[in-house]
Amino acid sequence: MLRVTYFGKTSFALQSDETSVLLNPGIWDGDTVVPDDYDIRVIVATNDHDDAVGNATTIAANAKAWFLGNELAVEKVKEQGAKPWLLHVLKNEAPYEIPGLKITPFSLQREDPESGKKSENLGLHIEIGKMKVSYIGDSMVRGPFGALEANIVIAPVGGDGVFPVKDAVSLCIDVGPQIGIPMRWTDDDQPKKFCKYIDQFARNTMPLVMKEGQVLEVQWAAGNEFKHELS
Amino acid sequence: MSEHKTVVIDIEETEKAQLDEHSGLSEIEVSGVLSVKNVSEKSRIWNVRVLLGDTRDRTNIGEETIPAGEVDAGGRWDTTYDVSAKAPILTLTEVFDTCEEVKTEEPHWAYAFGKDNPVKMTITLKNETDGQIDNIVLNKTIPSELTEITIDEVTSGTAEFDEGTGVVVWKDFVIYPQEESTVVIKASGRVKDVDAKGAGEMVVTYRGEEQTRSVLAPDMTALTEFLAGIESAETEPNSWECTLECSNESDLVVRLDKAEVYLEPEDGGDKEKMIDEAPAVELAPNDEWRSSFEVTSKSPPKCTQEIIYTPTNVVTKRVLGTIDKTPQLVPVYRIEYSKTFDPPKVASFDKTPVEVTIEVTNAGSAKLNEVQVLDNLPDDIMPPTSEYVEVFVRGDKYDGEMEIAIDPDDQDPDSPHTLSVKLSNLKDSVGELEPDETMRINYSIMTWKSRPEKEYPSPIRCLANTYPPGLEAEIASDEDGHKIGVVYKKRRISAKKGINKGSETGEYIVQLVIENKGEVTVENVRVTDWIPEDFEFVSVEPEDLEPSQAAADGGTNLGWIFERMNPEDKKKIRVTVRGEGEYERREPEVISD
Repeated sequence: MLRVTYFGKTSFALQSDETSVLLNPGIWDGDTVVPDDYDIRVIVATNDHDDAVGNATTIAANAKAWFLGNELAVEKVKEQGAKPWLLHVLKNEAPYEIPGLKITPFSLQREDPESGKKSENLGLHIEIGKMKVSYIGDSMVRGPFGALEANIVIAPVGGDGVFPVKDAVSLCIDVGPQIGIPMRWTDDDQPKKFCKYIDQFARNTMPLVMKEGQVLEVQWAAGNEFKHELS
Repeated sequence: MSEHKTVVIDIEETEKAQLDEHSGLSEIEVSGVLSVKNVSEKSRIWNVRVLLGDTRDRTNIGEETIPAGEVDAGGRWDTTYDVSAKAPILTLTEVFDTCEEVKTEEPHWAYAFGKDNPVKMTITLKNETDGQIDNIVLNKTIPSELTEITIDEVTSGTAEFDEGTGVVVWKDFVIYPQEESTVVIKASGRVKDVDAKGAGEMVVTYRGEEQTRSVLAPDMTALTEFLAGIESAETEPNSWECTLECSNESDLVVRLDKAEVYLEPEDGGDKEKMIDEAPAVELAPNDEWRSSFEVTSKSPPKCTQEIIYTPTNVVTKRVLGTIDKTPQLVPVYRIEYSKTFDPPKVASFDKTPVEVTIEVTNAGSAKLNEVQVLDNLPDDIMPPTSEYVEVFVRGDKYDGEMEIAIDPDDQDPDSPHTLSVKLSNLKDSVGELEPDETMRINYSIMTWKSRPEKEYPSPIRCLANTYPPGLEAEIASDEDGHKIGVVYKKRRISAKKGINKGSETGEYIVQLVIENKGEVTVENVRVTDWIPEDFEFVSVEPEDLEPSQAAADGGTNLGWIFERMNPEDKKKIRVTVRGEGEYERREPEVISD
């Protein structure tokens, strides 16, 4: 079974019976979205921006968790005082594996909406709790994710340097996951549109808009029947 | 006696009815003129009293008897009165049907804009009385928007259309008691604007001889030149024959109603009635009437007389009627539409959801009971499913009677589709669509790998109708209208090749780097690289990129297919080959959809 906890913005925690991973515990307008004392085994920031790295250093220190990211992100947390032996640089298409968890990063891009400057963002293909999760992070391109099998696709929908709604929908149509989860919206209309379009055009996928603090439990019932329950 | 003159009591009543535009009675006024005509050439009549009794209940005449004074020879006396009536004696009905081609229980009442409306006017007159109605003349004005006027049917009389005056005149017929006559006029109606049109005025005049609305049954008494006297002649001594003699001195017929003679006894006492008659005899001019009795008396008997007579009369009566029908207002039904895409343009080769908004506005002056939209979606578009098509009327979501169909009923983007949305029976759900009101359709489509060199027209056709339904009001775009814009995003695929020595003699490492440097995703990227005939393929990295091999001119072609490459996607392939001789370099080929 996999538990998906949503903290808001782009922050999720994935927990299985064996391990757990925290994705993009960012800081937005000076506020953290994940508590400093959150207990987790692995933290991944998909880029080195504050909205991805956030308070990862503190959480990692408190939980004695691994921190994973690209070189810039790892450098950033190192400067923030993270323990070097808990850091791991993710390389493009090089899987990171520990028991119960396999993360394959793919080098994608995000764009600064004001300057137009592009920077690397990692898209993550995560295998945990017998589920495959495609987490696009703060990406404006999909890379190979359209061809990667996934049970859950988590994609931004807010535009402004990351996916707009249409690209998130298009990805779900191509991948056909059981569940599509929007994130990082800037307007309440965006997740509604995401659901509307997924309902209509990605018939095998169920759109699911998670509220902050909600937990989604997914599992294979009887071995092959996908089941989910939202708290 | 018939050649003799008789006083005429004449009743001429006039009814004027006003019908509303749907032939309902809106007003009726009935008035009458009661006349006494002295047709004598020389004799005056006086002390004339017109006797009405209780036949005046429907009138405003207060007295049972109306004193008319004296009427000179050849003169007349008139009095007027009003009559209360609920309906005219003739019923006029017009059915103005703007679409006789479509058979419905109720007539069509509006013109379809931009079409030749097959108009049928059925005008019926019914005699509601037990008497004949004649002198009927009906004038029907034909409005200017009607052409090709024909009299299709007339059950009696003649009906002709006068092009000069634009009037159909129907005349020369009578209608017998409780019967009706009909004329049917057909025409073609075409309107140039949406203002409601008049269906043409109609006036009918008629006469009902020997009929009244008041039921007055007048009689009359009067005096005229008339002599009466008693002649006493002694037949024997003290025996007398007394004769009452009456003589009509006028040129009118006079009726003697009462003749009484009283004898005064010689020795006094009560008078004795000696003649007591009510002859009711009509005396022609110069006719006389006598009656005698005998009496014994020493002196000439003293007699007095009491005579009642009156000129006879005949009553003539008629009803003259006029019915004026207010022209029916015939509104016009017309629709306009707008159709927008949001976003109006999509990136080529991409999948993009697009919001389609269609608004149909009642641009006419008639209410609409049905609206239908037929929207055509080209290929490379994934259509919606019907449950996601939303319809709003006056801004509110519509959940009344509606049919939504998508043909073919699938979401296959490889074929075009037609979306049909039909709202019916609005009158029984949210009410008919009034002029200037709008219905809106919202739905989403998904553009599916739109190609920049291709056009994606999405023509639309909108229809509307009234209740009952007639010709459809229609508006449509051009056949190639409403194109979905496709923004051309350049495809740019880079293929680089490097050949390096391998670890063994005759072994080479061929490195291929395929990169999507364009702005859009490319699909079905087919990469082909050639190996000279003296070399053979050994291995590839990554291992899952095992190539296909096919014999080619002077060697072997290795092939790879990548289903999809997104912008900035890069594929690195390391191929190990082994052989003898020179390793000729040829550039890899890359093609894509």
